[in-house]
Amino acid sequence: MARTVVVVGHGMVGHRLAEEISSRDRDGTWRTVLLTDEARPAYDRVTLSSYLHGSSADELRLAGERFSANPNVEVRRRTRVAGIDRDACRVITEGGERIGYDALVLATGARPIVPPVAGAGAGGCFVYRTLDDLEAIRQTATPGGAGVVVGGGLLGLEAANALRILGMRVSVVERAPWLLPLQVDRRGGALLRRLVAERGIEAHCGTELAAIEAGDDGRVRGVVTTAGECLPAELVIFSVGVSPRDELARAAGLAVAEGGGILVDDRCRTGDPRIWAVGDCAAVNGRCYPLVAPGYRMAETVAQQLLGDRGRAFPGADTSTRLKMLGVEVASFGDAHAETDGAVELSYATEGSYAKLVLGPDTRTLLGGVLAGDASAYPVLHPLVGHELPAQPERLLASR
Amino acid sequence: MSDVVIVGYGPAAQYLVERLRHEGYGGEITVIDADGRAGYHRALLTSVLGGELEPEAITVPRAGPGVRLRPGVMVERIDTRRRLVHTRTTGTGTPERGTLGYGHLVLATGARPRVPAIPGLRAATGELASGVTTLRTLDDCLRVRGERVALLGAGVLGVESALALARRGCRVSLVHRHPYPMNRQLDPAAGELLADRLRECGIELLADRQAVAYRDGHLVLDGGTRVPAAFLVLCTGVVPVTDPARQAGLATRGGVLVDDRLRTSDPHISALGDCAEHASGMPAQLGPARDQAASLAAVLAGRHARYRGSRVLTRLKAREVDVACLGAGTAAVDPVAVPGCGAGGELVTLADRARRRYASMTLRDDRVAGAVLLGLPRAIATVTQLYDDRRPVPSDRLGVLLGTGTADTESTVDLPDDAVVCRCSVVTKRALIEAWHEGARTVPELAEATRATSGCGSCTDEVRRICEAQQGTDVAVARPPAGSAQQRHAGV
Repeated sequence: MARTVVVVGHGMVGHRLAEEISSRDRDGTWRTVLLTDEARPAYDRVTLSSYLHGSSADELRLAGERFSANPNVEVRRRTRVAGIDRDACRVITEGGERIGYDALVLATGARPIVPPVAGAGAGGCFVYRTLDDLEAIRQTATPGGAGVVVGGGLLGLEAANALRILGMRVSVVERAPWLLPLQVDRRGGALLRRLVAERGIEAHCGTELAAIEAGDDGRVRGVVTTAGECLPAELVIFSVGVSPRDELARAAGLAVAEGGGILVDDRCRTGDPRIWAVGDCAAVNGRCYPLVAPGYRMAETVAQQLLGDRGRAFPGADTSTRLKMLGVEVASFGDAHAETDGAVELSYATEGSYAKLVLGPDTRTLLGGVLAGDASAYPVLHPLVGHELPAQPERLLASR
Repeated sequence: MSDVVIVGYGPAAQYLVERLRHEGYGGEITVIDADGRAGYHRALLTSVLGGELEPEAITVPRAGPGVRLRPGVMVERIDTRRRLVHTRTTGTGTPERGTLGYGHLVLATGARPRVPAIPGLRAATGELASGVTTLRTLDDCLRVRGERVALLGAGVLGVESALALARRGCRVSLVHRHPYPMNRQLDPAAGELLADRLRECGIELLADRQAVAYRDGHLVLDGGTRVPAAFLVLCTGVVPVTDPARQAGLATRGGVLVDDRLRTSDPHISALGDCAEHASGMPAQLGPARDQAASLAAVLAGRHARYRGSRVLTRLKAREVDVACLGAGTAAVDPVAVPGCGAGGELVTLADRARRRYASMTLRDDRVAGAVLLGLPRAIATVTQLYDDRRPVPSDRLGVLLGTGTADTESTVDLPDDAVVCRCSVVTKRALIEAWHEGARTVPELAEATRATSGCGSCTDEVRRICEAQQGTDVAVARPPAGSAQQRHAGV
């Protein structure tokens, strides 16, 4: 008889896990039960703003649902898990239902952080994570109105794009001295700032959110920065990071990392041999990786283990990214910030493009890089990380 | 009455005399020079300061045939209407006054060191206080003594002098009011690497600090720091000497204004070198002075010649670190940050902190528009040549900067004959080849004959290559045809 794996959470990573099991488990040794408190099946969070471009919720649904026709996979929406009975190997839903498991994978994700400043609860302030958030933002946005996004990381720029699609005038407030501080360096950031400004998004970098100003109606009126600036705003989106949803694990007595997140080893195992954690809620050896690609690697290793393999250890984060927003291309890969000892940085800049390659001390081995304005060389360069460049860097950058 | 009267006998005037001779100028040349002693190669002064060269080694022959040199004579007044220079002697004793008629007058009065208004630098008489000196002349260099020396100003001269003094065993403090040395030439990344290197050489670099007073053998900085300075050397820039020009009513701004023929507002008076201000600027460097001398000599010889500005190259004369800045440098021209800083512009940078190597190079239409290079001697040689010749930079930019490029980027031997190989002493490839044919067959012999390599020494390899290329070409016919280098590049 098939064993049961219960997956708590049907986000992108939970979905990937179910897919992996479904496609590898040809003999049907596992029955997969996906529990989600959302009303919708998993969707692509990374390109949420395309929803506002007219993509329907259906179009954002993750492709490759081979398992939807698979009788061994069951997706149960609007099913919030209230607790885990580890002794009995059962999860208990809010509705009181008990679902037994042979294996349990926690893929509960993370929730957006609302900065602890005065006024953050005012009307017109949103986070940006779910289709429901987006729907609420759409209903509040007014064309020509002023919107402020707090946080200039990947998701913040995605949110800024969303507001722009909705016809708003958009400002971004970023604490670091430039946009996308994790992905790009100072000069890449300078170009990015200019290119997004050409597309109507004004970036205020090196300054933090101090307070939200609300009117008598309880609705947001403006955003005050620590630089003392007051940016008028009728809509604010917070995009300052996420905190892992680890409450279930805590309540079940599983270890959590110091900064939050369910503590797992490099094969995503918790202290309980039947329980794993993957994605944004997991702290691999104590560290969270709130990005989809590392989450997928975690899902893969768990699927391998369920199917009798030892499982490949989580390789650490490849935080390499390529994105195109408002027609502005940005990519970051490998040791983008040249933190390796003896690293040599080589850069090429024109008015519309910036490319930096980080090379090893031999000036031949590619360690990483930053591309802005034109990221067309990314598919060529990214796989070369750790290898000697097979041609002049100038040639590689010109390739696409 | 003399056909050409030159006022001043610094490098610009020396070049002019040399170029006039080269042009075959037949008129009479008179040089009046307030300095009563022999001339010297100013570019080599830091070598004297560092103790590598004896003062005698850097003197220049005072004048050649056809030149009347009147040392110890200064200009009191210029009578532009009668074309007369009123002179007087500068030595001790009663000055002797006289007049000298001119067909054409050339002002090569140079520049004088700027002395900042800091209490304690000057004695009551207005002279520099005891223990304080500027650094412009051979006498200035010989004056510096003591073990504990402070330098004020970390521009090119300050950095070179600090290294020279450290080399000779002094304990050196270098005070600079900007965040990093050579801030006019370097961008911050290069400046930081240079600062690191200076500190490695034992120099106490006090950057981003203002000097507020000099007293009791100490330089006092803002914040109250007292820097021991038994001797204080001022490297705080220069001011063009324009007094005779102003008195004569010539148009001046920072310097004496000159047009493309190096003429001042009076058609019978020209100016060149550090005292002159051309539309292209006032670089206060030897290279432009040499270019101006060439143009002016041609004009005076009756040829059609125009000076339209120089390719500016700043090369630090120090063996401890290779630093070069081409053009206006690259500090303010990052197209990423400053759009429109150059249409079609490209900025290439290489930063290798661990090995103290750095390059930034701006390109326009694939040609070098400016560059800052540090710790990359081969790139300095290659990029300088590409810059001077306005040749396109090979697509292998990294190879050019690392010196690992193909042979196309290394063509010293194919340099045009008039290319300047030794920039310190301004020695052309032609001069080296001529010296070789006159019997100087080794690098030391060529150095003896031409002074090439005797400054910063960075051209030694190039001089050696030129020397070797001459072996077996005693019959001049065997030299490669002109333009072969260009042809080879055209095929790239």
